[in-house]
Amino acid sequence: MDYNFHWRPVFKSLPDLLESALLTLEVAILSMILGILFGLALSLIRIKMTGPLKWFAVSWIELARNTPALLQLFFFGFGLGAFGIHFSPFLIVLLGLTFNNSGYLAENFRGGFNSIPETQIRASLSLGMNSFQTYTRIIIPQVLRVVYHPMTNQMVWAVLMSSLGMLVGFRELSGETQFFASKTYRIFEYFAATAIIYYVIVKIILGLSRLMASRLFKY
Amino acid sequence: MESASTYFSGFNINDLLYLGEAALRTLWISFWAISIGSFIGIFLGLALSISRVIAYTLGAVLDVFRSVPLIIQLVLFFNFAPIIGLRLNPFEAGLIVLIVYTSAYVANVARGGIEAVGDPMRRAARSLGMTYWQDLRYVVWPIGLRAVFPAWVGVALGVLKDSALVSILGYIELLKASQILMTRTQEAILILSIAGAFYFALSYPISYYATRLEQRWSE
Amino acid sequence: MKMFSKTLVSLFAAVVMLTGSSTAFADKLDDVIDAGVLRCGVVLDFPPIGYRDANNEPAGFDVEYCKDLAAALEVDYEIIAVTWAERLPLIVTNRGDVVFGGTSDTLSRAKTVGFTIPYAIYYAQAVVGADSGIVTVEDMYDKKVAAAVGTVPEQEWLKIAEELGIEGNYQGYQSENEVFLAVAQGKAHAGITTNTTVLPITQQFDTVIAGPRMPWGTDYTSVVGPRMDVTWLNYLNLFVTQQVRSGRYQELWGKFVGGEAPELRIPGVYY
Repeated sequence: MDYNFHWRPVFKSLPDLLESALLTLEVAILSMILGILFGLALSLIRIKMTGPLKWFAVSWIELARNTPALLQLFFFGFGLGAFGIHFSPFLIVLLGLTFNNSGYLAENFRGGFNSIPETQIRASLSLGMNSFQTYTRIIIPQVLRVVYHPMTNQMVWAVLMSSLGMLVGFRELSGETQFFASKTYRIFEYFAATAIIYYVIVKIILGLSRLMASRLFKY
Repeated sequence: MESASTYFSGFNINDLLYLGEAALRTLWISFWAISIGSFIGIFLGLALSISRVIAYTLGAVLDVFRSVPLIIQLVLFFNFAPIIGLRLNPFEAGLIVLIVYTSAYVANVARGGIEAVGDPMRRAARSLGMTYWQDLRYVVWPIGLRAVFPAWVGVALGVLKDSALVSILGYIELLKASQILMTRTQEAILILSIAGAFYFALSYPISYYATRLEQRWSE
Repeated sequence: MKMFSKTLVSLFAAVVMLTGSSTAFADKLDDVIDAGVLRCGVVLDFPPIGYRDANNEPAGFDVEYCKDLAAALEVDYEIIAVTWAERLPLIVTNRGDVVFGGTSDTLSRAKTVGFTIPYAIYYAQAVVGADSGIVTVEDMYDKKVAAAVGTVPEQEWLKIAEELGIEGNYQGYQSENEVFLAVAQGKAHAGITTNTTVLPITQQFDTVIAGPRMPWGTDYTSVVGPRMDVTWLNYLNLFVTQQVRSGRYQELWGKFVGGEAPELRIPGVYY
C-alpha cells in the first residue's frame, strides 16, 4: 500500500461542501413539493379519467418508473437541448427529479386512494358534505397516513438522486466534491467526506419525519 | 489530413447493434447483482431478525449503503480498491458495489418478510416438530415471500436502473454506450430515446408481470 | 465464471501482498513487463488526439503513442478511456500505468504525479456559437462559457472569472464532447478547448465557429506516470525523445492533426 491519505485539503474546503449541501437540500425539497402536486394530479387522473389525459398520465408514470433517473436527467439536459430548449443545471436537476418523484408518488397515492373503501365517500356525502369537503376532510387525511412512509422514502431518494447533478454540471454537494477532487486529485478523501455528509442529511430527514409523524398522527 | 467525418459520424445500423449489446451488458451486470445480492440479503435479513444486538449493529452498517448515493459508493470503492492492492476492472468493481447495495436493501425486505410471518405461527410450526430450517423453508419462506414479493421486485428493478451509474467507472453498459454514441454522432434525442426504450423494455415487463402475480396471489 | 476466478486470484494476491513480505524490489518498468500489459489512460473526447472511430474503437494520436510504447516494451496494451478529471487519479490509485492525455505539466499537479518532458504542445482556444457575436476574449465575459471539469482551461478561466465576478456564467461538463454539444445546441455561447480540436469541431457543426485564443500560455503537455517511479519516468522520457528522433512524432502528428508537428523544445530553457 503506497497511497498516502491527505485530509487537509478536505478540511479546508469543508465550508464550501456544506454550503453546496444546502443546494442539495433545496433542489430535493423543491422537487418533492412539485412531485407531490404533480403526483396527486397524475394519480387522480389515472383513477378517475379516461382518454388521452389518462394515457398521458400513465405514460408519465411508467416512463418515470421504468427508466434510470440519470437518463431522465440527460433528457432534460441534452435531449431538450436538441430542440433549442435550454435549462440551467439547477433546473435540469429540478425538472428531472420532479419528473421522477411525480411518477413514483403518483403510484403511492393511487395505492392510498384505493385503500379507502368507496362506502366512506357515500357515507360522508350522505352526512351532507360536498365532494370537496369529503376529499379534504375524510379522504386525504387517511391517504396521507398511508403514503406518509413512502413519501419519506421518496424524500430520501430525492436527496440521493440529486447527486446525479454532478454528471450534468450542477454544483450541488456531489458536483462541488467532484470539482474540488479534480483540483486536488484527492478523490477518495473528498468523496469519503461527502458520503458522511449525505449520511447525516438522510438521518436528519428520517428523524424529522418521525417527529412530524408523531405530531400528525396522534390519534 | 483526414476529414472531420472520421471523428464524428452519423448514427448507423451498427450503432443500434452496439446499443443492443450494451443493453445485454446492463442485463448481465444487473442479473448477477440482483441474484447474488438477494441471496446474501436474505441471510442478512435472517440475521437481523434473530437478535436485537445484531439488528442494531449489522443494521447500522447496512443502513450506510442505503443512506449514501450509489454514485458516491461507486467512486469511493473504485478509488479505494487499488489502494489496498485490488486490481479490479470497471465491471468487477461495479458488480461488487451493486451486490453490496442490493443486499443492503434486500436484507430489509427479507426482515420484513420474516416478521410478517409472526412468532405465533412459527412457534406453532416448531411445536409440530419442525426443525429450525424446516420452519424457515416450509412456513416462513412461502408466507414471507408473498408478503414482501412486491417490495423485492421494486428493489430488483431499482438495481436494474441504478446499474446505469456503473457507467461512470467506464463499464460500457447501456447508458455509457449511449453517451459514447451521443458525443460521436451528436444526435442526443434519438439516442436517448433508443436507450430509454431499451430500459423500458427490460424493466416494464417485469414490473407488469409482478403486479399480475401479486393480484393473483391476493385473490 | 472467468471473472470470479480472476477476482478470487486478485483477492488472494492482495492477501499475500498484505501479509507476506515481498522479496524483490521491482519498479514499475518491471511490473509492466511482468504483467505483459501496458495500461494506458487516454482521453477519448479529444479529437483528433483521442477519439472513437466509426466502429466505436479508440483512435487518435494518443492511442497510437500507447501502442508504440507497448510495442517498445514488447507487451500488450490496454486503453482505459478516462475523463479529464480522472487522468491523475488513475495513476495515483494505480489503475493505469501511464496517461497519454494532453496533461499540462503544472507544478501543482507535479505534487501528485510524475511528468515526463513535453510530448505534445497545444494552446487553448475557444469554439463559439456562430451567432454568439464573440470575437475577442473580452466578448466572452458576459456570455455563458463552458469547459470540461478538471482541465487547465477550466481552472484558468475560473481564475479570470473570479476576478471579474462572472463565475456564475461558467458551466462545467464531464467531457469535452459535451462542451461542444452544449455550444452547438446553444446551451453555452463559448466552449474552451484546444487548438487541434477546433478544426474538426467547426467542420462538424454548422453552428459552431472558431473563437479567440485564450489569454494564457502555451500548454506543454507531458506523459504522466507515478510520481515516485523515477526509473519508469526515465524510460518514458527516453520514449518521448525516441518518438521524435525516429520521425514517428511527425508522422502521427501529420496523420491526425496535419501539417508540421510543433517544436517540443522550450526556448531559453535547459532540460
